[in-house]
Amino acid sequence: MKVIGVHMDRCTGCKTCELYCGAERGSEKKTLLAAVQETPPPQPRVRVEGGLDGAFPLQCRHCLQAPCIDACLTGALRRDEKSGMVIIREDLCIGCWTCTAFCPYGVIYPSPKRKIALKCDRCLYMEKPVCVDVCPTKALEVVELEGIEDLLRERRLQTLNVMLANGGEGIRLLDFERSE
Amino acid sequence: MTCMIVGGGVAGFQAAATCRALRLEQAVTLIDAENEVGYYRTLLPQFMVGALPEEKLFFRSGDADPLLTMRRGVRVRSLDRSACTLTLDNGEVLTYDRLILAHGGEPFLPGILAGPPCRGIFPVRDLTTARETKSWLADHRKVIVFGGSLVGVKTAVHLSQAGFEVSLVVRRGHILLRALSEDSAAVVEAHLRNLGIEVCVNAAMEDLRIRDGQIDALKAGGRWLSCSTLLVAAGISPDTSFLEGTDLLTDGELVVSPALQTIDPRIFAAGDVAVIASGGEKISPNTWPQAVSQGRLAAENLYRSSPLPHRDWSRINAMELHGLAMVVLGPPLVGAEVISHARPETSVRRELFLVDGKPVGGALIGDISAAGTLHALINAGRPLTLRDAGLLRPQTGNVIRFPEQTGRRKALILSPKRSSL
Ligand SMILES: Cc1cc2nc3c(=O)[nH]c(=O)nc-3n(C[C@H](O)[C@H](O)[C@H](O)COP(=O)(O)OP(=O)(O)OC[C@H]3O[C@@H](n4cnc5c(N)ncnc54)[C@H](O)[C@@H]3O)c2cc1C
Ligand code: SF4
Ligand code: SF4
Repeated sequence: MKVIGVHMDRCTGCKTCELYCGAERGSEKKTLLAAVQETPPPQPRVRVEGGLDGAFPLQCRHCLQAPCIDACLTGALRRDEKSGMVIIREDLCIGCWTCTAFCPYGVIYPSPKRKIALKCDRCLYMEKPVCVDVCPTKALEVVELEGIEDLLRERRLQTLNVMLANGGEGIRLLDFERSE
Repeated sequence: MTCMIVGGGVAGFQAAATCRALRLEQAVTLIDAENEVGYYRTLLPQFMVGALPEEKLFFRSGDADPLLTMRRGVRVRSLDRSACTLTLDNGEVLTYDRLILAHGGEPFLPGILAGPPCRGIFPVRDLTTARETKSWLADHRKVIVFGGSLVGVKTAVHLSQAGFEVSLVVRRGHILLRALSEDSAAVVEAHLRNLGIEVCVNAAMEDLRIRDGQIDALKAGGRWLSCSTLLVAAGISPDTSFLEGTDLLTDGELVVSPALQTIDPRIFAAGDVAVIASGGEKISPNTWPQAVSQGRLAAENLYRSSPLPHRDWSRINAMELHGLAMVVLGPPLVGAEVISHARPETSVRRELFLVDGKPVGGALIGDISAAGTLHALINAGRPLTLRDAGLLRPQTGNVIRFPEQTGRRKALILSPKRSSL
């Protein structure tokens, strides 16, 4: 299953992903300039949490045991069999907001004007998620869930090497042993 | 070696699907008194008022499963635990290896309605009745909804949006008595009145006026209210009559363990019919999400030597009342501490109930931001910190309060500037 992975160390909190997600997935006209003038205002499906001392783009985790699917009163929320993504069938959603109270990450957004709930579907029908495409620091990446541990190990090693090459700066703050 | 499920509501359906997915060889029989099973009960108000076509009520049907038998239109009449059999109202006797009772609740009808038959009075609970209600409503547009439950309030709002003249009549002091505090209910009541719904509280049902065999007026709280339709949504009471004499009932209730097991290890219960005894408390959440998760857990536990307890007993309920969103996080408790943010000018009230410093319930009215995170906090069962309490502020954008390791982050961000990482 492919998901959007976040390199937490790279996010600067610039909210570019939020802006472009809102424009591409939430607006009629699909350009930033037109999107800000639309009513209802386009809503992004990714939210940048945190502040200056650390930011983090958060979108649906596509939980393997998704509480939101169980909660949905109409069957609008379901798992796409092929991709494994948790998606909302907008035509079945009645905007009752039950699912929003069941997502522990708070990443299902009510759209009261459109009377539907919105959430990230990893831009399932597009070549690449918009947020991943536009992130200026490449903090977002589409990763294969199965290979996530390998990826993390590789990244840790890479960071370690860079730090060693820079006189060990920051090394004591990494959460793994030097011996790795 | 059949697994038998009584009740084809969502709890029974979920249980059947889980049984089939877990034990591919084992046959499952689902028995339901209604002629149709597998529909979204929660959508009946929209359907009744004509806002939703009937085909949207039904669950998605997958491929026919030869090992899943649906028995529709038959009611279970008795249970014999020693022989492991169920007797149906057509006299048929079925043998089970394991049994899940998921037969939900019957609508509660005030005694006064037991009189002679009268047209224009309908409970809000099942599809057959909802169809009759729908065709009756077509030319009887003055409606009283009796009952301030979530179902009653929801039904009243959908009727009013569809152009009906609606009065919501409530026995007690405020609507949603078991879900909201008085202050929160006041916000919702004011909104309903703004929508043009007449809300009458402290109005027990006293008398009916019947003209030409159909309802003409209702006397409640000492006042006569004229109407051409009376919809009853005064809560539910599970029908446990066929379990009498089986020793499964305590004071008429089907009480189960937190693992949904009855005193008979072969029999489990799930959904609206189950009353869960947990930590000296009796819980019956009566919500759709609970029916789904309990149905699944009951099926998973059927053959476990030590069945696992359910983890989330929350009574979360959410509604969009045409312009006023609300989430019930858990009912008010006598003696609990209340923390709240109120912005009456915008119909916003957000409150949490704390016992020993731990959040146990609350409600978000008019602004439901951070509902999921607050629900997770209630489940975590730890004392509320100041940081958590910030989640209750209206328009909470920052919902994940993860402890920041600022030092670490700075160090990591420094490195890319110095190298090619
Ligand atoms: C109009 C309406 C709106 C609602 N809205 C919401 C909402 O917004 N949010 C929410 O969380 N919840 C809502 N609920 C509540 C929710 O629908 C229920 O909690 C849920 O459906 C319970 O499911 P269940 O499977 O336990 O029982 P049920 O759905 O009641 O199913 C029980 C089935 O068992 C059958 N049965 C009963 N006795 C027998 C017998 N002896 N033999 C054979 N079959 C039998 C019945 O015919 C019935 O089909 C609403 C309910 C209604 C009626
Ligand atoms: S919306 Fe929330 S609960 Fe549902 S799959 Fe995504 S992260 Fe999980
Ligand atoms: S808001 Fe839509 S997706 Fe969410 S529970 Fe209600 S119907 Fe399902």
